[in-house]
Amino acid sequence: MGAIVPLFMALAAHPLHTTLTQLAYRDPDHSVEVTVRVFADDFRAVLARDVTDSAAAAYLRSAFTLTDRAGQPLAVVWCGMKRTGDLLWLCLRAAAPGGLSGLRVRVALLFDRYEDQINIVQAILEGRRVALLFTHGDASKPLS
Amino acid sequence: MSELAAYVSLGFRHITDLEAMDHILFLLALAAIYRPRDWRHSLWVVTAFTVGHSLTLALAVTGALVLPTRVIEFLIPLTIVATCVENLVVRDRQRALWRGRYRPVFAGVFGSVHGAGFANYLRSLFVDQIALPLFGFNVGIELGQLVVLALAAGVLAVVDRAFALATVRPSGAVLRLRVIAVSGFVALIAARWAMERSPF
Repeated sequence: MGAIVPLFMALAAHPLHTTLTQLAYRDPDHSVEVTVRVFADDFRAVLARDVTDSAAAAYLRSAFTLTDRAGQPLAVVWCGMKRTGDLLWLCLRAAAPGGLSGLRVRVALLFDRYEDQINIVQAILEGRRVALLFTHGDASKPLS
Repeated sequence: MSELAAYVSLGFRHITDLEAMDHILFLLALAAIYRPRDWRHSLWVVTAFTVGHSLTLALAVTGALVLPTRVIEFLIPLTIVATCVENLVVRDRQRALWRGRYRPVFAGVFGSVHGAGFANYLRSLFVDQIALPLFGFNVGIELGQLVVLALAAGVLAVVDRAFALATVRPSGAVLRLRVIAVSGFVALIAARWAMERSPF
């Protein structure tokens, strides 16, 4: 009992550790806009510093990858962030001349911070809404 | 994967993850007083818990219920302690209020508190598309609860067996020992969580 109680105590924290990443195809310039919603306190904790544009962009580039059908990573460009309430909205853009279908995505946000982190990805492919879930250890997954 | 399936999976993983130990221990505390032959009572309690979750779901979708997350996170362990205290205090349920049939009511009320805990997070994250994520998440939570309750029944059976082997007692006394052991253990942990999360 003496060892078990502290173990259960350590498991007490129960916030929902989740992010939401939305991929939207932009017809005019054949690009994909990536919007990541993350709780501001979680993001500040993982950065271990103030959330500046440069710090946020650097972390996002390390934790989010988008590859084309040939497996080549797409170059992503930081397009800013905003805050509403508890939530940070982070933005990336990448050229995607072939559309979203067949691209591979990996979202490893906050895996280095929370064991129970789950990252959700949403996209619209040919009018159909699809979703992916990422947990610890997941490799990239195709949008299909 | 469809969006609905993703949110169902999110809810299921959330309730069955060891990090969600407060929900798991609440279910264990609720189940602690029942024997296999009491399955009808336990079904009522679980159903009430589900109704509580669903009520919170509806209130969260309409925005009619907005409670500070810190208060909810503090109330959740208190509901666990209260359930354990009720387990310990009420020895003869036939002589208790409504012959002990009030239990589904408080399971429903406490369920709504637990539901509010995740509703706040989901409402923040899915600010512009709340209905589908909340519905899917709730379905996943309910499916996960069934798994947790099945596991809890197994744990309680092991505890019963251990007490039966350790002592020669009538089955009623073994049940009482089990209620004391499980409720005391869970209450101790939940009380500590409440102190850690106190907003005061």
